Amino acid sequence: MQPEKQLTEKESLDLIAMMISKARDSNHDTGWSAMMWGAIIAVCSLVKLSEIHFGYQLPFDIYWLTLLAVVPQIIMSIREKKLRKVKTYDDIYMDYLWLAFGISIFLLIFITNAVFAVWEPVFDEYTKLTGHNPAFKFREFNASFFLLLYGIPTFVTGAACKFKPMLVGGIICWVCAILAVFTTIKIDLLLTAFAAVFAWLVPGIILEREYRKAKKGLEQAHV
Amino acid sequence: MQEENFSPEQSLQLIRSMIDKAKQDMSDNSIYFLVWGWITFIACTGQFFLKHIAGYAQHYQVWWLIIVGIVFSTWKGIKDRKIEKAATYVGDSMRNLWMGMGISFFVLSMILTKIGWEFPVFPFFILLYGLGTFVSGNILKFRPLLIGGIVAWGLAIGSVYVTYDYQLLFGAAAILFSYIIPAYMLQARNTSAHP
Repeated sequence: MQPEKQLTEKESLDLIAMMISKARDSNHDTGWSAMMWGAIIAVCSLVKLSEIHFGYQLPFDIYWLTLLAVVPQIIMSIREKKLRKVKTYDDIYMDYLWLAFGISIFLLIFITNAVFAVWEPVFDEYTKLTGHNPAFKFREFNASFFLLLYGIPTFVTGAACKFKPMLVGGIICWVCAILAVFTTIKIDLLLTAFAAVFAWLVPGIILEREYRKAKKGLEQAHV
Repeated sequence: MQEENFSPEQSLQLIRSMIDKAKQDMSDNSIYFLVWGWITFIACTGQFFLKHIAGYAQHYQVWWLIIVGIVFSTWKGIKDRKIEKAATYVGDSMRNLWMGMGISFFVLSMILTKIGWEFPVFPFFILLYGLGTFVSGNILKFRPLLIGGIVAWGLAIGSVYVTYDYQLLFGAAAILFSYIIPAYMLQARNTSAHP
């Protein structure tokens, strides 16, 4: 048996750093997930905006696309889980953070629908009785709640991974959430698309490029 | 200077002790959970009493209590910053998470200030309580926090079926299960581990 190799303090820290960087070849850092969600949310918002602006209606709700996107997300996550040799603390943290975000989004959809069901008939009744729209319409504030939620995991991921584009993206989501309470539904949809592009799509593209570059470097090093 | 040699076991021990250190720091900081938990709990139940039982028109004035929380957090934050503490990965994760949660509560308050506080606001707050504690429970591998987060989410769903007055009680229950009880359990664990 070989004698146990003694590592210096520097070597130990290098080993830890290497393990962390190795595990960074996970789905959070390949960027595909961020790119996909950024693109989908932006497209859904812009299609909805065009429906309202041009007065047409698709035979289905465009937001069903987000449910469809869950399928490739699950498949890719399972595939990458199998490939992942080392699971760092960072991975576990990010997994739970984004899982909590996913659950919260479903709960938010449930809550907003429940609130709609109670308040919308009241607003309709008010409009019928008075002949004009009420000053307050819940629908106009819907986007703010979603943007608020988008900001949380984006900001925390950016802060935890020291990845500035996502940190800034999270802040953009929150600024858009506040702006959206003062704007019409059309502008709210534009703000949502804008936030999705800068919080997820752009950081996703940056991550994907860095991932490719790092992979190429590793391949060259092994030749 | 002679460089200290670490065996792989010692290296792993170092990492493990860093995680334990973060758990210790977290239980030291459970005072934040307790202060904010009790302030919110008293405000929710107090508003319920003033509005539903006493019929006091300005029942919402009870929320001025949060100023106590802001003053306390600012004072404690400044005080703790003076004490140099070794940064740990888990500790940093918790700090980042709760910084994000703090900003979110602020943004939600801004949104609700525009919409109006008479609107059913509590399901949204309870949803956020659940998010923060669920992730914290997983980071710290501390089950009461994790369960508290799930209970809060359940209460968020339940709260949409009741009137505003009873939503206040749902809010109080969410705070009790997701902040107050886990914080006391964290403190108790800390005391028994480091008497």
